[in-house]
Amino acid sequence: MNNESQKITTPRQGKTYTIPIGPVHPALKEPIEFSFELDGERIVGVDIRPGYAHRGIEFMGMKRNLIQVLYLSERICGICSISHPLALTQAVENAAGIEVPPRAQYIRTIIGELERIQSHLLWAGVAAHELGFDTLLHLTWKVREKVMDLLEDLTGNRVDYAIPIFGGVRRDIPAAKGDLAHAVLRYYRDLLQGLMDAFLEDKSVEMRTRHVGALSRGDALRLCAVGPTARAAGVEKDVRQDMPYFAYADLEVRAITPRDFEQEPVGDVFDTIIVRLLEVAQSIEIVERALCEMPEGELVSIPKVAALLSFLKKAEGEGIGRHEAPRGEVFHYVRLEAGIEEPIVWKVKAPTYSNLMAWVPKFMGAEVADIPIIAASIDPCMCCMDRVHVADRSGRASIRMKEELIRLSREKTRRILG
Amino acid sequence: MIFVTLVRQLLDRPATNPFPTRHMPRSIIRLLERARRGKGAIHPPVPVPAGMRGKLVYDRDKCIGCQLCVRVCPARVIEFRSEQKKIRMHVARCTFCSQCVDACPVAALATSREFLLADTDRRSRNLIVE
Amino acid sequence: MTGGIGAAIWQGATVLIGGALLGLVYKGIDRKLAARMQARIGPPLRQPFFDVVKLLAKENVVPDHAIAWLFNGAPVVSLAAVSSLLFYLPLGGFAPLLGGHGDLVLVIYLLAVPAIAMMVGGFAAASPYASVGAQREMVMLMSYEFPLVIALVSIAWRLSTILPEASVFSLSVLAANPLWDWVGPLGAVGLVLLALALLVVTPAELSKIPFDIPEAETEIAGGLLAEYSGRNLALFYLADAVKTVAMAALLVALFFPYGLADRLWLSGPLAGLVDVAFFLIKVLVVVFFSVIVVRVGFARLKIDQAARLFWIPVTGISLVGMVLLILDRVA
Repeated sequence: MNNESQKITTPRQGKTYTIPIGPVHPALKEPIEFSFELDGERIVGVDIRPGYAHRGIEFMGMKRNLIQVLYLSERICGICSISHPLALTQAVENAAGIEVPPRAQYIRTIIGELERIQSHLLWAGVAAHELGFDTLLHLTWKVREKVMDLLEDLTGNRVDYAIPIFGGVRRDIPAAKGDLAHAVLRYYRDLLQGLMDAFLEDKSVEMRTRHVGALSRGDALRLCAVGPTARAAGVEKDVRQDMPYFAYADLEVRAITPRDFEQEPVGDVFDTIIVRLLEVAQSIEIVERALCEMPEGELVSIPKVAALLSFLKKAEGEGIGRHEAPRGEVFHYVRLEAGIEEPIVWKVKAPTYSNLMAWVPKFMGAEVADIPIIAASIDPCMCCMDRVHVADRSGRASIRMKEELIRLSREKTRRILG
Repeated sequence: MIFVTLVRQLLDRPATNPFPTRHMPRSIIRLLERARRGKGAIHPPVPVPAGMRGKLVYDRDKCIGCQLCVRVCPARVIEFRSEQKKIRMHVARCTFCSQCVDACPVAALATSREFLLADTDRRSRNLIVE
Repeated sequence: MTGGIGAAIWQGATVLIGGALLGLVYKGIDRKLAARMQARIGPPLRQPFFDVVKLLAKENVVPDHAIAWLFNGAPVVSLAAVSSLLFYLPLGGFAPLLGGHGDLVLVIYLLAVPAIAMMVGGFAAASPYASVGAQREMVMLMSYEFPLVIALVSIAWRLSTILPEASVFSLSVLAANPLWDWVGPLGAVGLVLLALALLVVTPAELSKIPFDIPEAETEIAGGLLAEYSGRNLALFYLADAVKTVAMAALLVALFFPYGLADRLWLSGPLAGLVDVAFFLIKVLVVVFFSVIVVRVGFARLKIDQAARLFWIPVTGISLVGMVLLILDRVA
């Protein structure tokens, strides 16, 4: 990350100074270290150092059987606590060749979309708090409780729903619960316009977010941004639209951009608010349709857990699973070997990992006051994303960049060959 | 306009779920004990839905000691006691996925709606199911 | 004068302690009402008292690189300045204690002192957050002082044209002769505009959202106050509470100095009591509209936006108010 920021850093004009933000700072909900180079209040350089929340989850997963890994994956992230299991189940089903019954596909869709509603509302509250608008924080979090209660009612847990299993889902949504869900969705339908007004019509919110942390379409594409971050920049990119899975193909999901709000996208914080609030509306629609169109049938293709365990032990191959999490595309890769219960390789790429680099152009030229809201605008989840921690106890550790690593590995290959 | 909401909320009841008591009691354990005996009212906990996954319940007589639950438990809650061919569950570690309930071939396990499991001792009677 | 010294000390102590208690009570009300507007239960009314007691009991940490005497001196100066404000403001039906020794101009200076003290304390703390906060406080001070002074001076000038003999900058004179009674319709509109400008200046003067930019918890971790703890923080906390009351009392003295007792044909101790109660309610109304509603109804502005807001629209409003007062005089 060092070289990236150095490339973008503009030449120093006058005296600049450095201000550290993090690893622990009120603007950050999770630890990450920024160091900003400031010219007055203006940001002229930024260096990002992640790695403070690395937990080695992939390594832990490689020492557990797949059913245990499923619940471990749920704990990668507390907010998108179904996105990771959904991606993992798809990866394992892909590797082992397990079919998922249609009703289970619909239930996965419904829970996934309900999670998007709660996650986006949570984000909206956090964003409002970063702007110093605590009333909106309390308002959004108050209304968020309804969907949390619904999720608890449908799944039995408020977070970490433990719903997907390889080859299906573990709990049905009977008609009575469906009615309950419809009632909650109606509540949100009635409320959403007010919430949109509170965020998008408020002068002080607009003053703080319009043209703040803008991300051009080109930068979004070049830096491989995903999810609402990319869509706010006008990139029509959504796994649900591009490679439909679960019931999304039946439900005709379309990527939401600020154009749906009759605004030309500029990728600023205001646009990310637009995209996320419109996606709440979209999710309400998806869940309502899915509840109505859900076919009858089996919930799971291998109902007996003992049979599932032995089937997975015999399975061999590699598979990928991707899911459009609230924050963007989450990607899981597994490799299974026959006779071994544990996955040989388990690789997780959380959406924040892709969106991290989008921070650099977003921060450049912004002011100190914009740091919290820009940092929050990509809805970062550090502990999902952290893949490595650089410890420097002896003072000998050093950070090597991509180009250097490629050079070193080429040298080694030549040495081995030569 | 946000100000309409502000006025409405000012006049409405707060949305917060209250703590059991208004002020921190001298001893929480004694407070709960008194409340259990019906002395002194506390704000009741919020109602939980029917299917909530709470503390595990174990039917010792039904258990056949197959250890399937031990294999699937992601949190290593379940300890197999080989001399009795029965299990002991350390609920303090439980993540409430109820995968063991799904796995049990003889339906010896179930989840209850009990969720007030905070304790200072992870080996307390309340946190061990056997 | 000789016999009055004991009484004066007693009166002074009453005003100081009463002002501090009142400030904390208003802070409690502020927090409770703000919480209810956000659909929260909020802390009990006496929470600010607990806060002060707790802060006083906590360790007072001075950062290693701080200039200790400046760092420790700033909160004392801040509290001293706002406390002395109370001596110059008419509280309820009572004339200011030191009314004869200082006037509106002194009040303007005393209002600026806490901000300057916090700025000095912030720079002395040798912390990047506090330095950024101090720079922001400086910009804020330069932004809101101008409309504040325009409003206060216009009112005094207009009064001087009506009562050429009186010392019009004295707050007791200002409070005793509300301008509303003298001016025509043009002047009344001008006064409303000036009151409006001062209502906008109030949250900035008190560093409350949307103008809590020098403290900005989510941006610069408390800014000016980032390094303060224990006794020093308690002093700043008290100063803030007292300043809230003082600022509101100033607005009340300038624009709504009317008492209730005269209108109800009351006299004696009851009249004083009614006037004090009415004064407290007036202060509460000012605090409610210019602090509580504003701080829950807006997002925090950026420093350049706040500066622009004060330099252009708010200064504009107060200038228009001033011009209207002048026209009122001419007409």
